[in-house]
Amino acid sequence: MRLTLPMLMAGLALAASAAAQGADQRIALREMTHGVGPVVPNAAAAPEWTRAYQGRDRGPEQTERFSRKVKIGRDGRVSIANISGDIVVTSGAGDEVSIEAVKRTRGSQSELASVHIDVDERQGRVDVQTTHTARNDHVSVDYTVTVPSSASLDLHSISGAVKVTGVRGPVRAETVSGNVTTTDTPKLESAKSVSGNVSLTGAAADGDLSAGTVSGNLTAKGMKAHGLDLGSVSGDISLSDVMCDRLGIKSVSGSIEYGGSIAKSGRYDINTHSGTVRLVLANPSGFELNANSFSGSIRSDLPLTIGGDSARRDRDRRRRDTGFNNHSMRATFGDGSATLIIRTFSGDIIIAKR
Amino acid sequence: MHPNETAINAYVEESLDPVERREVEQHLASCASCRQLADDLREVLRAATTLGLREPPVRAWSRLERAIKLEREHAAPQDAPGAPHAAWTGRVRWAPWLAAAAALALATAIGLRFMPTTGPDPAASNQPGAGATIAAGEAAQSVETELRQAEAHYEKAIKGLEQIASSEQNALDPATAATLQKNLAVIDQAISESRAAVRSQPTSDPAQQSLIENFKMKMGLLQDTVALINEMRKGNEAGAARIASGLKQKGD
Repeated sequence: MRLTLPMLMAGLALAASAAAQGADQRIALREMTHGVGPVVPNAAAAPEWTRAYQGRDRGPEQTERFSRKVKIGRDGRVSIANISGDIVVTSGAGDEVSIEAVKRTRGSQSELASVHIDVDERQGRVDVQTTHTARNDHVSVDYTVTVPSSASLDLHSISGAVKVTGVRGPVRAETVSGNVTTTDTPKLESAKSVSGNVSLTGAAADGDLSAGTVSGNLTAKGMKAHGLDLGSVSGDISLSDVMCDRLGIKSVSGSIEYGGSIAKSGRYDINTHSGTVRLVLANPSGFELNANSFSGSIRSDLPLTIGGDSARRDRDRRRRDTGFNNHSMRATFGDGSATLIIRTFSGDIIIAKR
Repeated sequence: MHPNETAINAYVEESLDPVERREVEQHLASCASCRQLADDLREVLRAATTLGLREPPVRAWSRLERAIKLEREHAAPQDAPGAPHAAWTGRVRWAPWLAAAAALALATAIGLRFMPTTGPDPAASNQPGAGATIAAGEAAQSVETELRQAEAHYEKAIKGLEQIASSEQNALDPATAATLQKNLAVIDQAISESRAAVRSQPTSDPAQQSLIENFKMKMGLLQDTVALINEMRKGNEAGAARIASGLKQKGD
């Protein structure tokens, strides 16, 4: 059977369609308040991302508050799609989702009414979406949401920060312009930004975890997953206290630091063009190293058994012939059970022991 | 009227009936953009049939799923009763999602075809016989030829995506567009450095690998850019306008 693009898409579409079918029974909700009134800004106490909105227009800030509670069950699903404004989610007890939102503008008060917060409730899930019905309004919406601790989260923002704390269900958090911050999320699936930083603390995943940013930095501490797929273009990637079986990191100009363990039979593939790669390994039982760099250097603090004689000779010959300084190393440490593949073009490669 | 992508794909697969086939052929004779699409799909098909089954990376599945979701959203209104035949729906909807998916498939196929040599270089072998030297020279030439072909394919796919991103760039706010442009420039610089290294040392594994990786990186960022444009576009008109203006303000 030939493989064609439509066939591939049709197969995936069927799978997606099957997954999308489910109960659609609406359940009762309890709307708490829906007030309109001024909010006194506290610039000193406000986090950096909320201060971004303050003072961007000339007039006094107008606000409108929105509040709603929805029962979804302890492991229900919550999705929030916002356009401009922050999303802050924390976990709470019980089986309810508490949605607190503040619409803000420094334009006219009437603009607030043109922005709707749509809450779509279905059995076991709630989908929240900000809808702007007027052109060129100046309204942002900041969400503060509490969800059951085992709920699953799907968060998307265009312009605004996304912050998740203590949610133990599956979490996906993405924004275009803004930072993504997660803390204590044992089932994090993805965390991505285009122009913001991504900071992960205590993140884990049963399967694969994907995180990346284009121009921001990616930092993670205490991360545990079967597979990690991480990337940046120009930002640095810094990982500490990491445990994983499979690691894939790619960057172009960013530096990469991996601090953590190396699993037996694990595979670790790191690639950057001009950044430095630094591995700080905690008592590895062993690995086979395949490292190469076109013009960067390779250094290891661990005692390696060097292989790849022909590669070294070739390197020396090229260095004589062209003046270029190629570096390639095949080596083994300990039992050689894991595989480390590290490639750079001009960045240095450093392997250190913690 | 242009045939849609499905019709062109069916044409490339030779699964159209004779009448439909003739209609598409007549159109292709006078339409460069559809001809280009047919050529690209042929290349995807050709490359795919030369490959064994491989598991795409997680990232690729995500992109394809996203493309399918967008396809279904875009396709729904056209499938309504009374809508024109699906194969001929007015001006070709050379939709970014399809371009992204096609380019991804193309680039994946190319990437799988071209695998830089990772073993010891035959040129440095300790068997300096004449036969070995000739074989090594031929192998190096073959690798160089394949690399140049891969380069050409990547450049073609990248050019297509760049055209889409450029023509649809108004969907992005200036700050995000600037971030993406800046990072594309970073990748271009990396490609330039890698290419210079490959030209000076055609058999260098690090140089070859770096060049291919940078091409893949650029493909990935362009695909993400096109996907982002689609996300911006799929909301209502007021919402899309709000995205652009809101981001601009926040980026100031």
